[in-house]
Amino acid sequence: MQILEIEGLNSGYGKVDVLLNISFTMKVGQCFGIVGPNGVGKSTLLQTIAGAIKPKSGSIKLLGNEISGKNPEDIVRSGLALVPEGRQIFSGLTVMENLQLGLTGRVDKKTSHQAVEQVAELFPVITTHSKQQAGLLSGGQQQQLAIARALITDPKVLLLDEPSLGLAPNIINDLFSNLSRILEAGTTLLIVEQRANLITKFADEILVMRDGLIQARLNKIDAQDENKLKEAYFGAGVKK
Amino acid sequence: MIQTILNALSLGGTYALASLGLGLVFGVMRLVNFAYSELITIAAYTLVMTSQMPIIVGFLLSVVVTSIAAVLMELLVYRRLRGVAPAIMLVASFGLSKLLQQVYELCFGALPRSASIAPWMSGELKFSGVSITNTSLITALLTIVLLLVMRFLLNKTSFGIQLKAASADFRTARLLGVRANHLITLSFAMSGVLAAFVGAILVVGNPQVEPMFGMNMTILALVGIVIGGISSLPGSALGGFIVGVILSLLNTWLGNGRVYSYSWLFAVVFIILLVRPGGLLSKGQEMERV
Repeated sequence: MQILEIEGLNSGYGKVDVLLNISFTMKVGQCFGIVGPNGVGKSTLLQTIAGAIKPKSGSIKLLGNEISGKNPEDIVRSGLALVPEGRQIFSGLTVMENLQLGLTGRVDKKTSHQAVEQVAELFPVITTHSKQQAGLLSGGQQQQLAIARALITDPKVLLLDEPSLGLAPNIINDLFSNLSRILEAGTTLLIVEQRANLITKFADEILVMRDGLIQARLNKIDAQDENKLKEAYFGAGVKK
Repeated sequence: MIQTILNALSLGGTYALASLGLGLVFGVMRLVNFAYSELITIAAYTLVMTSQMPIIVGFLLSVVVTSIAAVLMELLVYRRLRGVAPAIMLVASFGLSKLLQQVYELCFGALPRSASIAPWMSGELKFSGVSITNTSLITALLTIVLLLVMRFLLNKTSFGIQLKAASADFRTARLLGVRANHLITLSFAMSGVLAAFVGAILVVGNPQVEPMFGMNMTILALVGIVIGGISSLPGSALGGFIVGVILSLLNTWLGNGRVYSYSWLFAVVFIILLVRPGGLLSKGQEMERV
C-alpha cells in the first residue's frame, strides 16, 4: 500500500530552484535513506514534504490525500512529522514542555497519556529529565527528545533530517536501534543522512540526490556496493 | 519615601504590561506593532465616552473594544502582509498607527476629550503619617495581579507553552502542530486586553485623551522590550518594569530638572545595552549546554 507519493515536485527559495522534478513513492513500513553532497536539496525536500516550504509545483500525497501546499500544522495532523536538522528543540522549555508541544499536533487527544508513556519507554530521557531545561541535555538526549516530540504527534510517516549529526558513535548506534523499533512498529521512515555507510545498511532503499534531482535509486544490495554508490553520488567517471 | 517607591512600582508595572502586550505580538510575528499606541488610545477614549456608566461597565466595554480592534488589526492588515520583509511590516505598522490617529481625530476631534473617571481614586490613604494616593496603590495592586495572571498563562497553560515556543522558533512550533493563525489572533487579542488595562491606568491618572494619547507609553514600552531581551516575554515585562521604575524615580529625584528625565533614562538604557547588547534576558545569555 502506497503511503507517500511524490510526483514532479519542484521547490526552492524565491527565484532559486532547488528541487527539480522529484518523484518517488514509498510503501507502508518502508525506510528510505536520502544521501548526496551538501547543498543538493536533501533538507529542502524534507521541509517541502512537511510543509515548511511551499512547493512551486508537483504533487505530494499522503495515504492518497494531497498535502502539497498545506500548512505544516495541518500536515502534521494528517500523519506526517519532521525531526528537523540540528534537532531544533526549544532550549528554554523543559523536556516535558517540549513533549507537550508535540501533543498539539496529535489528533487523538484521548490517548495522549499512553502516548507519553510509550515514547518514554523508548526514550528514557523523557522521564529521567522531564523537568530539566531542554537546552541542558546532551546532544544525544536532545536528539532523543526531538524524535520523541515528533513521534508523539502519532505520525504514519516520520522524516528525519541528519539524525546522527554531531553525535558520538555509540550514541548513533543507540539512535539507530531506536529507529529500528519505530520502523518495526509500522512507521514509515524517510531519513536524510550524511553517513552513507550507516544509512545504506539501515534503509530499504537509497535515493541519491545531486543538483536538485534524484540521480539514482538503489536497493539495499546495490547501495552497499561502494562503487555503485560512489558512481551515483559523484556522477559517471569515478575512478574505481 | 513609601509613596515614591509605590509610584515607581506602579509606573514600572504599567510599563511592564505595555511591554508585555507589545512583546506578545513581537514574539509570534517579529512585528513591532507601533499601532499598539492606538489600542491604548481607543481604550482610553472608550472609558471617557462611557464615563457616565459605572466604572466596571466602562472598563469591560473598553476591554472588549480594544481586543476587537487588536484582532481586526491582525485580520485586516497584518495577516495580509504575513511573509513579507520585516521592513514592510514595520512601515505598515507606522502607517496603521498614523491612519488610526487621523480616524480618532475625525471622530473625537484634535483637542483632548476629558471626563472624570473614578474620582474616588484621586483620594489618599494615610498609614502612620505616610500618605499614599489611591491611584498608586490600586495601580500597583492591579499590575501585580495582572503580571501574576500573565505568568500563570505563560508558564502553566498549553497556550503559554505554544506562545513561548513560537516566540523562540515559530517555524518548528508549526511543524509540531501549533496553529499559526489561532496563536497569532489570540496573541493580538491578549495584547488588546493588556492595552485596555494600560489605557485605563493612564486615563485615571490623566483623563485628557487626545489622538496620540498612547504614543509616549508605546515608545518607552518598546525601549523596555529592547533592554529586557527582544525575544523573551519575561524579558519584555522586566524591561518595561525597569523603564517605568527608572522614569518614576528620576521624575521624583530630579525635581525641577525632571525635563531631563528622558535624557537620563536613555543614558541608563545605553549603559545597559553596552553591558548586555542582547538585552537583560536575551536568548544568548540562556544557559545552554550544546
